Amino acid sequence: MLPYLLAVWIFLAGLYGIVTSRDLIHTTVCVSVCQSSTYILLLAIGYRKHATAPVYGDIPSSRRVVDPIVQALTLTDIVVAVAVSSLLIALALRVYDSSNSLDPSQIVGQRG
Amino acid sequence: MAVIPLLVAIPLVAATGVALSGKWLPGVAADVAGFAAAAASVALAAVVLVRSGGIVTYWFGGWRPARGGFPIGIGWAVDPLGAAFALLSLGLVFACLVYSWRYLKSDRYLYVVLMLVFGAASAGFVLSGDIFNIFVFFELVSVAAFALTAYEAEESSPLQGSFNFAVAQTIGAFLVLFGIALLYGRTGALNLAEIGRRLNADGRHDGLVVTAFALITCGFLAKAALVPFHFWHADAHAVAPAPAAAVFSAVMLELGLFAVARIYWTVFAGVLGQFEHPIRDVLLGVGALTAVVSALMSGLQRHLKRMLAYSTFAHVGCFLIGIALLHPDGVAGAAVYILSHGLAKTALFLVGGILLTARGGIDELQMFGLGRRLPGAAVAWFVAAIALASPPFLGTFTGHALIDDSAGAAGYWWVPIVLAFATIGSTAAIIRAGLRVFFGIGDRDDPLLSEEPAESPPPEEKPRLLVMNTVALLLAFAGLAAGAWTGLAAEAVHAAHRFTDQISYIHVVLDHRPAASAPPGEWVTTTSSVVWSVVTLVGSILLGFASTIRARLPRPVTRALAAGFTPLRAVHSGHIADYVAWLVFGTGVIGGLLAITIR
Repeated sequence: MLPYLLAVWIFLAGLYGIVTSRDLIHTTVCVSVCQSSTYILLLAIGYRKHATAPVYGDIPSSRRVVDPIVQALTLTDIVVAVAVSSLLIALALRVYDSSNSLDPSQIVGQRG
Repeated sequence: MAVIPLLVAIPLVAATGVALSGKWLPGVAADVAGFAAAAASVALAAVVLVRSGGIVTYWFGGWRPARGGFPIGIGWAVDPLGAAFALLSLGLVFACLVYSWRYLKSDRYLYVVLMLVFGAASAGFVLSGDIFNIFVFFELVSVAAFALTAYEAEESSPLQGSFNFAVAQTIGAFLVLFGIALLYGRTGALNLAEIGRRLNADGRHDGLVVTAFALITCGFLAKAALVPFHFWHADAHAVAPAPAAAVFSAVMLELGLFAVARIYWTVFAGVLGQFEHPIRDVLLGVGALTAVVSALMSGLQRHLKRMLAYSTFAHVGCFLIGIALLHPDGVAGAAVYILSHGLAKTALFLVGGILLTARGGIDELQMFGLGRRLPGAAVAWFVAAIALASPPFLGTFTGHALIDDSAGAAGYWWVPIVLAFATIGSTAAIIRAGLRVFFGIGDRDDPLLSEEPAESPPPEEKPRLLVMNTVALLLAFAGLAAGAWTGLAAEAVHAAHRFTDQISYIHVVLDHRPAASAPPGEWVTTTSSVVWSVVTLVGSILLGFASTIRARLPRPVTRALAAGFTPLRAVHSGHIADYVAWLVFGTGVIGGLLAITIR
């Protein structure tokens, strides 16, 4: 149960960071924090007691291993995270170039 | 059918090739490669649609499970509604590539790359039968969309729109991923059919299943711009280049709804089937709220693309109402509605791009009367507006009629009123803006419209107004004509029966049985649907004319109206922090309602 609660806790911590953020880089990091909660959730679901890594090269095939599928999902998830984070950082850099500030309230152009 | 993956692979490979070589190639080569790849995948999508009479499966790498066995590989399952959606999305991407032949100057090959990726990923999304595959394709659609939004990032507005859009969409994706992880934990499967079969065999509808359903539904509703998940979508639509905003409106938002419907009917329909009533009520409530709020908001915008975005959200609310009825007729209504709306709304956004190119502005009041010498654009604008007003036997009429009739049969008497309100409110805003811009009718000032920063026109080589006008006109008339094709409505009903039959889907995918015969689609026009369509058409035109001169209302009245709208305006603050707070709040409310009512 603990890893699941931990995942929810990290997700909420990341959300709190985004909601109170005053800096675009800080927001980007908080998005990554949120995302890391999904890694923990996925890995927790694949966890088996007394199991080893699912690499059958040098272990007997009767050996108990953790679920490799969720590890593959986590890897894919990390790839998605890289794409999103790099895009967010690129946007933050452009904001800094054009307005010399990373405060999100400086770039509000449209409302209502 | 071995050609199925090609319709996603061809644009992806072409996009990679153009991205790698675009720097050294002349701009024309990138354009030609883009046209060719998009055209080839459109043709393949048409072939797949024609031959997807039942449900066609495709297993990657030949990992086809033994009859009744566990699906280890990744499988796609193509049904007629999914294939039609892929065709619509690729077709619109093709049309937008043709339109923007000379629209954007700076690094145009990257724009071609992003549009191809967008089209390929949206096609993969609707054809896939694997829930994690669906998630990844949606992320691919989203990342392409973020980059398209920031495409003309010379000023701060596109950056704000894109940043908000990227952060909020990504949080929505995490909700979906949490839900997928929970489902995998319960069933050990990622194939939609296998998850559905295991949940049915298990039969438990405990906290885990309800939480997974709530998270996946809210995550995809957030991607479909349902209130209160619409804020960042409005910002993104306003700042994205016109052809990109067009495909966001016509395809991307609807993909979110498609996912809600697809996952409900393949995964949850059996195990949560006895709770149809509460699920229907919650989703109908969200759809109706979206339709009403967005129709009001569209009347308050002076930035044309932002106004069109709110008009789209109003229609998206109506699509959700159609799906939320949880009946094949409602789903069929949403499907034909999405088709005619997608064509007409794309035409409207493209006309916005023509105004920006030819007259250098996109603000309704600044552009007052400046569109007089653009007859092609004017015709496209008004034809598309009428198509969206659900005129009798044209445009969105069949979609409206199917949803209205289905709601009437289920006892939801208020649905036609909400649909009419959303249609009249959003279409009147389009007609109002068109009258001011193209004919200079009405007043030059309007106390109800919000302030917007000006947008600079895209850098131009030579405006290709002829090509741009032609594409916009063709799409507008296609949108109008889609409603006249009543055979299509019957086909859609037939396809929707197939779409909503969970048992048959599982049998086809896992047991290799032919699809159960769906009842032949039939659809008859009812008197009430014709009456409602006359109401929406006349109401839209009258309200559109009336709102051009609403500044002439007595001052206390305009003041009271403006004061009444102030709170609604105030929540659209442009701050990502507020948007994420709304996302959390909306998920809490919708998830909480589902958790309370599903017992």
